[in-house]
Amino acid sequence: MTLFVLYESASGYGLFSADGIDEIGQNTEAVRSSVDDLNRFGKVVKLAAFSPFESALDALNQCNAVSEGQMTDELRNFLELTLPKVKEGKKPKFSLGVAEPKLGSHIFEETKIPCQSNEFILELIRGVRLHFDRFIENLKPGDLEKAQLGLGHSYSRAKVKFNVNRVDNMVI
Amino acid sequence: MRGGSKVVVEPHRHDGVFIAKGKEDALCTKNMVPGEAVYNEKRVSVQNEDGTKVEYRVWNPFRSKLAAAILGGVDNIWIKPGARVLYLGAASGTTVSHVSDLVGPEGVVYAVEFSHRSGRDLVNMAKKRTNVIPIIEDARHPAKYRMLVGMVDVIFSDVAQPDQARILALNASYFLKAGGHFVISIKANCIDSTVPAEAVFSQEVKKLQAEQFKPAEQVTLEPFERDHACVVGGYRMPKKHKGGA
Repeated sequence: MTLFVLYESASGYGLFSADGIDEIGQNTEAVRSSVDDLNRFGKVVKLAAFSPFESALDALNQCNAVSEGQMTDELRNFLELTLPKVKEGKKPKFSLGVAEPKLGSHIFEETKIPCQSNEFILELIRGVRLHFDRFIENLKPGDLEKAQLGLGHSYSRAKVKFNVNRVDNMVI
Repeated sequence: MRGGSKVVVEPHRHDGVFIAKGKEDALCTKNMVPGEAVYNEKRVSVQNEDGTKVEYRVWNPFRSKLAAAILGGVDNIWIKPGARVLYLGAASGTTVSHVSDLVGPEGVVYAVEFSHRSGRDLVNMAKKRTNVIPIIEDARHPAKYRMLVGMVDVIFSDVAQPDQARILALNASYFLKAGGHFVISIKANCIDSTVPAEAVFSQEVKKLQAEQFKPAEQVTLEPFERDHACVVGGYRMPKKHKGGA
């Protein structure tokens, strides 16, 4: 039984495989101590695939979908291309860990990929978040912050429905 | 500030914070965007010996709980140059702009605010300060903005909600690194207005302790705010070795 973890970053989707963690048992305390150390964490959790967003607009669409717990076509393609195939009638030999149960159930409905999200997965995602820039080779320090900055601005601007120039239009 | 060239700016005990000593002393931070005020605060320009000018912005403790906590004598605010800060309850971004000065170009401030109206000012402020990442979203649902935030060193929380300890814990479980720190401002009236403020504070501290936080100190924000306290501490602190310091 292989465990995959989906990590949504500001610059793209990342898929990580976590081998041999199940055998240790899903003891979150034990996970916690090994998560902080990249040497130990990098041995069990490995980058399986990474798909960067094509443009700022694409990133914004993905971000909006992720925050609503929806699966976009891009995410579906990414998962179906990188995860092992699910055969009809057979029990899949892997599962996908996601941060939010709502997104997980949506992925399962559409693609039949078995998803789980619990405290243990959240601990793993904490670790991925901590070491993310070292997992992706082409990512320079500061690049991720730039992606977050751009995405944060476009996401927030779309949320603020008031006129950003402080000229409110009166509704009569 | 009055006094012209007589104003001397000295570094504060907290890294990144300064004291302007003129006719009256004032707390200030080094302006990241010289020549611009964010909310019409006063600015102090000081000429160095080599002729270069440095501009500072005066930090009003009546408008900012973090400034009030510093004047209240808090031991460590953990927000320092280069730090990565998650700021919950950013409002219009007045304090956020000072935190942005404090962490400097190497640091990052993720500013979360739910209100669209004050969020607009926050977004506009963030346009000029590239180390501020504005997030207009509900701090109760960190999963909604998990794509925008990385691991942080400090969480500052000023949300004034009855369940603010839970909100802080939820955000910490997503974004605060083990051994990181939190600074939370507690307004007694917002949590329970029927019991004395002191009782509310100790109740909140207990709630924090139950969520893997280790509160280290508590300062009152008097005389700048009434019935407010600021609690500072660590998160998932490593266990101390026997015989260690």
